[in-house]
Amino acid sequence: MTWWGRRGRTALWALALVLGQVQAAAADGGATPEFEDPAARLQSTELDNGLVVLTLEDHSTPVVSFQIWVDVGSGDEARFTGLAHLFEHMMFRGSKHLEPEAHQRLLEQRGARLNAFTSRDVTVYFADVTRENLPLVIELEAERLRFLDVGEDSLKSERQVVIEERRLRTEDNPEGRLFEQLMALVFQAHPYRVPTIGWRSDLEKMGVPECREFFDQYYAANNLVVSVVGDFDTRETLEQIRRHLGPLRTRENVPRNPQTEPEQRGERRAVVHYDVRAPILAMAWHAPPTGHADGEALDVMSTILSSGRTSRLYRRMVHEEPLALGASASYWELERAGVLYAFSSLRPGVSIDQAEAVFLEELERLRREPPTPEELEKAKRRLEVGLIDGQGTSHAIASRLGRDWLAFGRVRPLAERLAAIQRVTREDVRRVAQTYLQAAKRTVLHMVPAPEEGS
Amino acid sequence: MSRRIFAVLLLAGLTTGCAHPGGRASGSPFCEWLGSCPHAWELPPPAAEDRPVVDPARLHRSRLPNGLEVVILEDRRLPQLDLGLAVRRGGALVPLEKAGLASFTAELMERGAGERSALELAAVVDSLGGSLSVGADWDAVTVVVGGLSRDRDTLFDVLADVVLRPRFDGDEVERVRAEQLAGLEKSREDPDTLASWSFAAALYEGHAYGLPRAGTPETVAGLDADAARAFHGQVFVPGNAVFFAAGDVEAETLEARVAEAFGSWAEGPTPEPGPEPPLRRERQIVVVDRPDLGQAQVVIGHAGIARNETRRIPVQVMNTVLGSAGFSSRLMGKIRAEEGLTYGIWSRFVGRRQRGPFAVGTFTRVPELGRLVSLTLAELARIREQPPTAQELAAAKSLLAGRFALGLETSAAVVSALVDLDVHALPADSLDTYRGRIRALTEEQVAAAARDFVRPDEAAIVVVGPADAVVPQLEPFGEVRIVQP
Repeated sequence: MTWWGRRGRTALWALALVLGQVQAAAADGGATPEFEDPAARLQSTELDNGLVVLTLEDHSTPVVSFQIWVDVGSGDEARFTGLAHLFEHMMFRGSKHLEPEAHQRLLEQRGARLNAFTSRDVTVYFADVTRENLPLVIELEAERLRFLDVGEDSLKSERQVVIEERRLRTEDNPEGRLFEQLMALVFQAHPYRVPTIGWRSDLEKMGVPECREFFDQYYAANNLVVSVVGDFDTRETLEQIRRHLGPLRTRENVPRNPQTEPEQRGERRAVVHYDVRAPILAMAWHAPPTGHADGEALDVMSTILSSGRTSRLYRRMVHEEPLALGASASYWELERAGVLYAFSSLRPGVSIDQAEAVFLEELERLRREPPTPEELEKAKRRLEVGLIDGQGTSHAIASRLGRDWLAFGRVRPLAERLAAIQRVTREDVRRVAQTYLQAAKRTVLHMVPAPEEGS
Repeated sequence: MSRRIFAVLLLAGLTTGCAHPGGRASGSPFCEWLGSCPHAWELPPPAAEDRPVVDPARLHRSRLPNGLEVVILEDRRLPQLDLGLAVRRGGALVPLEKAGLASFTAELMERGAGERSALELAAVVDSLGGSLSVGADWDAVTVVVGGLSRDRDTLFDVLADVVLRPRFDGDEVERVRAEQLAGLEKSREDPDTLASWSFAAALYEGHAYGLPRAGTPETVAGLDADAARAFHGQVFVPGNAVFFAAGDVEAETLEARVAEAFGSWAEGPTPEPGPEPPLRRERQIVVVDRPDLGQAQVVIGHAGIARNETRRIPVQVMNTVLGSAGFSSRLMGKIRAEEGLTYGIWSRFVGRRQRGPFAVGTFTRVPELGRLVSLTLAELARIREQPPTAQELAAAKSLLAGRFALGLETSAAVVSALVDLDVHALPADSLDTYRGRIRALTEEQVAAAARDFVRPDEAAIVVVGPADAVVPQLEPFGEVRIVQP
């Protein structure tokens, strides 16, 4: 039920970092530690209706995570922004045999951790439960996927909830508002320009027919991937899934929104007024989509810039010169395009222009000369540790499976990802910095308090 | 024809089979074929398997002669390792005029130890792709290092240095103080933080709990290396500490290293816990004026229970029904689902060594504030007058049993729960007995918990929002005090 706000999106990105794009080398030149990639035991099954089911049985954990990954996100919206996310909320608002919120309540009463989120690319529903509750999860998912009931009353009240959520996470939240403004400036044509939660006026307008059409278009068996990881019995569970999700309909020609972004020619710059004590500096550049050959080098680059106390931005802006409270740089990899973005919360009273000059100096340095061998190895090691940490829970592994399957049609083995990160050279880092961090292709945003009236 | 007869024959024998709560039976293909299967949600919940939370074969406990407790949980599934040490005292010990000292000290411990300056220490940790964090809460200060198990020796050395030999270098002191002050300044933007600060002040004025754990600009400005050194010396003594590890490590080898590194750690007196907080019983209404906000942030509550309160389980179950069961809670049902006044509302008893707060938190559109406060207070009164029904109680029990298993999926989480028990001197087998204690609760015990621990008439009401619009809506509840953020 949550929309992943900027913080959430960062978390999603971090997950992608850990699971999707990133590999690392052993810093001491030794081999990557020996352990079994949990996904090596993955079984994939395709039902007659096109539904893909990914199962990974593991009884060393007391939890089973059941996730449905729908291949639709706000990037597919053609008319009403925020529809994918509002619709995600409607999935909890009742079906033929269940009243609104019953789905959530029934599972919560079993102690389940359940939620859903929508991003630019995907909509994901998950429930983490103990094994005896898995049959209930499967039946509840089948119930709403087969018999969802979108009514006027429930849409009206859920729309209010989403508008409230928008206010909380975006309008009354400096980082949320800044991120929304940044993306709206980075992209002009591409649907990624639109905030996933939608513009307010669209939220106020869209109605039941739009929701029903959206359901028909995107919530078909062949546009879904089910991922089940943890403490369950594969044979029994597949049998239940076949019985309950086998009757889902198939749809040909799932509509897409194929706009692409024209090349940016010249810097874009904006000021956003907001009552902040600590001004925020933000920058962004266009970057390649997920799965691109430069992905690993971009991850290494952003790690060198901002991960840990010895990272360049932290050292320069927080440690050496008291300019900022923190600084971060991230490669946000989406299915159809990517964004490199960097934020810095400045110390109250610091001039934002001065901070920007220092920030840009650090980026220029990265374009001029390659990082030191130590910096390269450190970044690779950090990415490697992140990758391993990301295999620690059923939920994280199930997310890895679902995300990879939708993005690549397969689950990339850890070994492959480790090898790709290992291949990144110092020169690669300098090359991607030169390629992507161009002045003429950047977007700069200053979030500062409005000047006093009359001044 | 033959098909129909077959169906009739089956009907007699199999519908009961379908209704059997055994999970598999609910999906019996025969009842599916007959179209007469009950839905899984119409069946009673299947019993949870009561498997032990802590595998005794993997758990190793010991104690050094100087009193240091050692807890190691082996887990060889992934090549990773967390090592840590916690002391059983924290921010609650700090005198008011030094508020923020525990956080200040913790932060400084990350900034240089043993032979290494702040950047050198960070460089070692970063070069391993590892992590180092020192955190202070009210009742504990905890140091954790994490990374790959092949780096266990370096990780261990870093931990020992940070615990035993923090440097408190002068330039780092200046830096940390400036950062902490800037952080406080920034936190003042956040309505949620402002609300929790004002709420704490209303409940606990004059006690450590009444000020932000990170201190105030006035107190932080006065913190220095001597104060940090003294606080470290006071709480970091072996008889007051527990060493812990979770992950890919051999317990015996690690125990030997612990004895070697921490065996000569000089004993000292375990500090007394700080004074009991006062119990305020009068209604207070505080508005933090933020004219720019479109919605009001609200906290309502009063002093609650200590972490080791003997009736904490009935309190937890009662509070689950009230406001901690997601959509199933009474507060969510009333305020969100029925009235549409908010996106979320929760209630919580925060267990601390001494009586922590009981708080209901939510937010709403400014014009709806008065109604939201009135309905919330009414729900607090209702849990006393109409205590949880048998059905609500059963749902809360099943919820807590399930949520409990989910919260302890990783070995790091299990060890962290064991350390928390140690810090609060609770029985070491609490995790394995938890589900049984939940199951044994009666309606009467839960009703009594509501009567004794929820007191709406004494609840403080704290709102962050535009005073002009907010104050008139709160006046019906009592006298309103306006403060600036």
